[in-house]
This record gives sequence, structure tokens and C-alpha cells, in this order.
Amino acid sequence: MTLIATEALTKRYGSTVTALSELTVAVEPGIVGLVGANGAGKSTLIKILLGLLPPTAGRASVLGLDPTTHPERVRAKVGYMPEHDCLPPDLAAAEFVTHMARISGLPRTAARERASEALRHVGLYEERYRQIGGYSTGMKQRVKLAQALVHDPDLLLLDEPTNGLDPAGRDAMLTLVQRIGTEFGISVIVCSHLLGEVERICDSLIAIDAGKLLRAAQVSAMTTARDVLAIEVSEGTEELAASLSALGLQVQRDGHLLLVPLAGDDTYDQILGAVALLDLPLHRLDQRHHRVAELFTAKEAVSVG
Amino acid sequence: MSVEQSVIHDIGYQRYTGVRLGRGYAARSLYTHGVRTAFGFGRSAKAKIFPWLMVGIIGLVATIVTAIRAQTGVPVMSYVDFPEKMTPLLILFCAAAAPELVSRDLRTGVLPLYFSRPLRRADYALAKLLALVTSAWLAVAGAQLLMLLGGVFSVHGFRAVWDEIGDFLPGLAYSGVHAVVFSAVALMVASLAGRRAVAAAVIVAVFFVTLPVTGVLYAVGGDTGRELANLASPSTLVSGVGDWLFDPVKSGVGDFGPLYGAVALALVLGCVALLLARYRRVAR
Amino acid sequence: MSTAVELHGVSKWYGNVVAVNDVTMTLGGGVTGLLGPNGAGKTTVLHMMAGFLAPSRGQVLVGGEPAWRNPNVYKGLGLVSEREAVHGFLTGREFIVASAKLHRLPDPEAAARRALELVEMTDAQDRRLDTYSKGMRQRTRVAAALVHEPQVLVLDEPFNGMDPRQRLQMLDLLHRLGTQGHTVLFSSHILEEVEQVSGTVQVIVAGRLAASGDYRTIRRLMTNRPHVFTIHSNDDRRLAVALIGEQSVTGVEIQPGGLTVQAGDYGTFTRRLPKIATGSGIRVQRVIPTDESLESVFSYLVAS
Repeated sequence: MTLIATEALTKRYGSTVTALSELTVAVEPGIVGLVGANGAGKSTLIKILLGLLPPTAGRASVLGLDPTTHPERVRAKVGYMPEHDCLPPDLAAAEFVTHMARISGLPRTAARERASEALRHVGLYEERYRQIGGYSTGMKQRVKLAQALVHDPDLLLLDEPTNGLDPAGRDAMLTLVQRIGTEFGISVIVCSHLLGEVERICDSLIAIDAGKLLRAAQVSAMTTARDVLAIEVSEGTEELAASLSALGLQVQRDGHLLLVPLAGDDTYDQILGAVALLDLPLHRLDQRHHRVAELFTAKEAVSVG
Repeated sequence: MSVEQSVIHDIGYQRYTGVRLGRGYAARSLYTHGVRTAFGFGRSAKAKIFPWLMVGIIGLVATIVTAIRAQTGVPVMSYVDFPEKMTPLLILFCAAAAPELVSRDLRTGVLPLYFSRPLRRADYALAKLLALVTSAWLAVAGAQLLMLLGGVFSVHGFRAVWDEIGDFLPGLAYSGVHAVVFSAVALMVASLAGRRAVAAAVIVAVFFVTLPVTGVLYAVGGDTGRELANLASPSTLVSGVGDWLFDPVKSGVGDFGPLYGAVALALVLGCVALLLARYRRVAR
Repeated sequence: MSTAVELHGVSKWYGNVVAVNDVTMTLGGGVTGLLGPNGAGKTTVLHMMAGFLAPSRGQVLVGGEPAWRNPNVYKGLGLVSEREAVHGFLTGREFIVASAKLHRLPDPEAAARRALELVEMTDAQDRRLDTYSKGMRQRTRVAAALVHEPQVLVLDEPFNGMDPRQRLQMLDLLHRLGTQGHTVLFSSHILEEVEQVSGTVQVIVAGRLAASGDYRTIRRLMTNRPHVFTIHSNDDRRLAVALIGEQSVTGVEIQPGGLTVQAGDYGTFTRRLPKIATGSGIRVQRVIPTDESLESVFSYLVAS
């Protein structure tokens, strides 16, 4: 079943602001990255998918349901983790998540049990009985995730889940999201500005620019290997460059790296031979890959594909 | 344990296959949570001080009244008088509870979490309102129940007890009217402010700052003025309704009784409409 | 006149809370990343450099002069702090002109124009700030911090909330400023980006300076941690056998994607690998250092 499908989805505020324009996209289950400039229409799209905002034109379907006609049924199956601060500081996490579970329709005992489980899965242990006001940013993000997860949704909408987290926190959150998307069997839509994160954990990606679809593709298709080899030696880069040129290879410098077109298997042998001969320390040898970030380095909008 | 009995239990993520209750349950849960919040349950000890202080004072008054009645046989204050006399305390109770119910949610930005669940915006607003009405009513009704118990034990005979209950029920209803009017105003005001202290102050102001107006009308308006004076402030509006409904002589309001009823109803409906409009618009 | 920023034995405490503990660092030209877990003291250090806070002990020198309450320092240093507090009703240009006037520049309008060009905000300069996107506001604030052409620019989490395009533009701007000779210090949690702009870092952990310099060199200095490489060839098992015989190798793991090799002696191993490959006729196709990124270096520094 398609996770999310939209057909010519349009949203206009008044007559001047067009937040979404003729957006047509079909998203398969899995971990999906939603990227785009601030104000490009991501929040509007999320609100429409949650049934909080009616579209001006076009249709949308979430998990096979229409959010315009059955908003509550959609929201019962979706968990939302907002970007902004949204936690009450004077409640304990356990209490808050239990309360949210009940608002999602879980009976009292089930709410308490699932809240406890959700907090365990996101990695909050004895801290859960302390007030949220005293939590670090990382812990608060985990509580936000727990309340999105507690009612066992089929789809999680995470808006900038690594916002404000330090490197260790980001790593932990990304690992957790990946676990949820793969082991728990819950589809996840991750809104992120950090394309490195999207490459790391997402199967597919939707890019929106100025309300229009910029690109919808599998991440693997966007990060295919290029026919270019990157070589890095800890010293003697110039010598190696000269040596490889002498062998007839086209050499390009990119900071610490040397880039050489990959003509065939021989290229590897030539490179290794040259490095061995010059007694240089080989630090890196790898095929270059396309990056998701390339979407945004081109100034003109890329064609929809 | 033997080798055959050893096992690793699966404590991975479990899907939820149980029942999912709908909007009604969600709204009821919010309502119960609201009543608990109004009385400070589920939060720190500090949060319990003010509401229970108010309840305590109201209860103390009821106890004294009951004690005096037990001693002297004379009911110093009737069941219907009681809520009127407790008006200032009830206003303070609402002024403290309403911000706890709605201003906090506005401040912390938790509304998107509620609205992304199967709960409509109107459900949220009405559940909070009902919670405040219930809490305010309980604050007074509890004391009235105390008075009833005292009263029942100081009279004799089934007939007298029946009469006692007959006096009690209108008193209970009158508390209800107070609760409804005060809660509607207080909650509507609180929904406009994110800071609790500001909301509480404005609520108190709305009730008490309008009082001098009644005083002025009472002094200068002549007979009609005196009868209409209590329309000017929500705190006294309800006493006008009380006169109309429960005072056989209608000393205070004369022929304007139904007007008081209509104005009170309009005030409540107006506040509820504004409350719903507020929650239709607010994002977080 | 020395244009560097120097901290000598700087500590800052608030009662029992020690925010910064005996930090000594020197910043030269170019871009430096200030890294550290949340609450490590980065913002405190930045504010002391900008002269907003006095150190409890030690000296903070900018251009050779103490930073605390020194108007001269404001001339030579621009700070872009984390909190956004701009007056929404001003246009971009007005905001920067105001900043120029506060610095008592002789020609505020011209200075503002130059600053706007530098951050590429000339097109939107006459729109009100509250119509700007987050990235545009950040760039405007950078322009305001640069209007008096200071030698040093200090930024606290400048990329917060920026989308991919805005990030690229800001990284580009910082890089340009670095190559032009400015001293740029910025704090960030997104280590891939710090890596892209500059390899020079100052790492603060719990108030103490854990490491300074080029992160690659820092990694090499961690001799107690073997370097980890992922290596893939056309005959991984044979390569594994050859490698395990090397003194510089402390461990080899065979995995579906290739070999995971731990090298206790980085210098020797990296020279031996190509020779072993060519000598044994094994075609090595991928050599990837897995714990050399700034993220790995950073996590090691925080852990130890």
C-alpha cells in the first residue's frame, strides 16, 4: 500500500500566497526524507496530511485514508513529533506520555503500559519519573518521540528530530529512527535540513521547492557511484599527481584528494603501483558517489524525476 | 534452570492490537485530567496550595454555619445564600484554576500534540471548560453537602429531612449557575494569555473592577438603577439570577429577573463562542 | 599589531558551576570550528572573546588587548550570537546601517552596502526583517557583525534552522572570509560541515579544552587508538592473511563488505598496504579510514 499519495495538491492562502502547487507524489513505505527550504511548503504539507488544513485543490491520501474526509482516522494512525518545544516542564515524562496515550484513545491500563514501553524504547529509564523541565535537549527530543510512538502508529512524522542535539545525541537519535523504521515496522517521514542525515538513514526522499516537487527518488538512485576514483595520501600528493599524469591518467586536485577517472580495473593497479613505488602512505582509495546535496547546488530547478 | 527451560524473552517492539477508543474517550480523558489539574493533583505540592486553601476556607465557613445551627437551631445561612456569599472565594479559585488549565498549554506549545490526535479543537476547548465548571462546582458543592449532613442530623422526622433536601437541591443548582458563569468568563480570558500570572490578574480584574460600576448604578440610578445595577459585573450578575430563581420576593431585581437570566445566558454563550473561536485559530 | 585571539589560562565560574576551566588557546587567520557537547562552555568562551563576560581568572586578549569592556575590541571583533533578537520592523539595510552607526563609522551607508554585498543580501535589503527567512536573517546578522570590517568574526551556532541551500551559502561565505585572511571562529554540532569548511578545530569538553588544531593530525596523535580501515579487494581472504602477518596490523575482521583492519602503527601500515597489494597481485579497490572523520575524532575526545 502506498504510504502517502498526493494528486495535484494545492494550497493557497488568500489570493497571494501559494504554499503548495500541483504537488503529485507517491511514497512507498519505509524511511522517507522530506527536504526543502524553509517556507518551501513542508509544514503546509504535513498539516494537510494530518487533516489539520484542507487543501485548496487536489487530493491526498495517507495510509489509504483521505485526511480531508476522515481526519481523525488518519490522526489515530499517525504519530507526530514537532520541531518546536512542546513539552510541559512540570510533568514527569511517564505521566505526560501516559496522558497523551489516553488522548490517542488507549484505555487506561494499556496507556500506562505502552507509555512505559515507549519510554524504554527511546532510551529513557529512571529519568522518566523526573520532571521534564530538568531534562537536557536530547532527553526532551526522546520524550517527544515517545509520545509520537506510544499509540503504535503506522506512520511517524518527525520534524527535524536532531534539532539542537550535539554530535553524540544526533548519532543516537538517527540510530533510533533507523531502528524504528527497520525493526519496528513503522514507516517514518523525516523532515531534515541535514542532507547527510537523509543519506544515512532514508530509503527515499522528497524534495520540495517553493511549493512544487523538486525531486522524488530513492536515495540509492541519488547516491550512485560515479566513474571517478578519489585517492588520498598523507604526504607526497604532488609527487603522486605527477606520477599518475605521467602514466596517462587525468588527475584533478580537490583539497587533500586526487581525482582520477575510473576507466577500468587497470586504473586501480596503476594507482596502487604508483603509490607503492613512491613509498607513500595510502590513506584513502574510493569511488566517488553522487550526493543528495547536489540537488541544491544547481541554481535552476532540476526537472521532476 | 535446566537447559530445556532456558529462554530469551522477546522484549522488542510490540504492535498494539487492543481497542482504540474514539473522540469521546479522548475528550473525557482530557476532562478528567483537567479536573485533577484544577485541584493540583499530578503536580508538585506547591500547585495544591491555592485550590485547597480556597476549598478549605469554603469548607470552614460551611462547618461554622453548620455548627452554629447545631447549637442554636437557627440556620445562619441557607443553602441558596451560601454560594452567593462564597462568590469572592469562588472567583479566586477560578482565577487560579483557569490559567492552569489553558494558559500553561499555550505557553508550552503542547497544542500541536493534542491536535495531531483524534481530538477536535472544539473538543479540547469544551473539555477544558467542563473541567473548570466541574471543579468550581465541586469546590462549593462539597461544602454544601457538609451543611446538608449537619442539617439532616439537627432536624427530626422524615418530613423535615425531606424539606431539608428540598432546600439543599436549589442551593446545589445555584452553585452550578455560579460555576458555569464564572468558569465561562475565566476560561475565555485565560485562553488569551500564555502567562498564568497575567491571566489570573486579568480574570480577577474583570470580576472586581466592574464592581464599582454596580455601586455607582445602585447609588444614583433610583429604583430602576438599583434593580439593574447588578448586571454590570459578572460577580453580581449571578446574584441577580439567584434572586429571580430563588427569591420569592424578588427584592433585588423586581421585574428584571428574566433579563438577568437572559444576560447571564448570553454572557456564557458569548464566552463559549469566543473560546471556540480562539481555539479554532491558535496554532501553538 | 597582533590580530589573533588569545586565551591564557582562562576560567569562568558562577558560584560552584565552572563553565570554563583553565583554557589556553590561540586563534590565527582562517576558519576554526569550536566544538563540544551541549553545555560544554562554548557560548561562554565566545562571549568572553566578545568582551561581554569577564573571565574569573586568566586573560582574554583580542588583538593583544584585553577583551573585557574594551571598546577597541568591538572595533576588531564581530559577534553573531545564538539568540535572534532583531527588530522586525526594520529593513535589512536599515538594520545594518544602524549597526554601522553604533560603531561610529564615518560613512555608514557605504559600509552597509559593502557588508550587504559580502553576504549577498543586496536584492532583499529593502524588505522588512520580519519577512526574511531564517537564513536571510542570519546572513543579515553576519553582515551587521561585519559592517565595521573587523579582523575577527565569532559566530555561535550560525547554521541553526537553516535549510540546505542556506547552509551551503553560509559555509561558502565563511570559507571566503577565511581565505581573505579574517579570523573566523564558529561553533556547530554538524561536524560534516565543519570538516568541509576547515579542518582546524578547538574542542571543549565540560569546560576544558580537550584538543586544538587540525583534526586529522589530532587523530594521528591518538596513538593509543589503532586506526580502523575498511578495505575491499578482489581477494579479501588472501589479503587478510597477508595483512595479519604485518607488525603494524593489530587486527583483521572479515565481513561481507570487506575487511575491517586495525592498524596500530598508522605510518607503517599505510605505506605497507600498497606494497603488499602489488607484491601479492591483489587488486585493492577500496581503502576507507572509518574513524578518521571529525565525528570519530570528536567522539573519541569526548569519551576519554
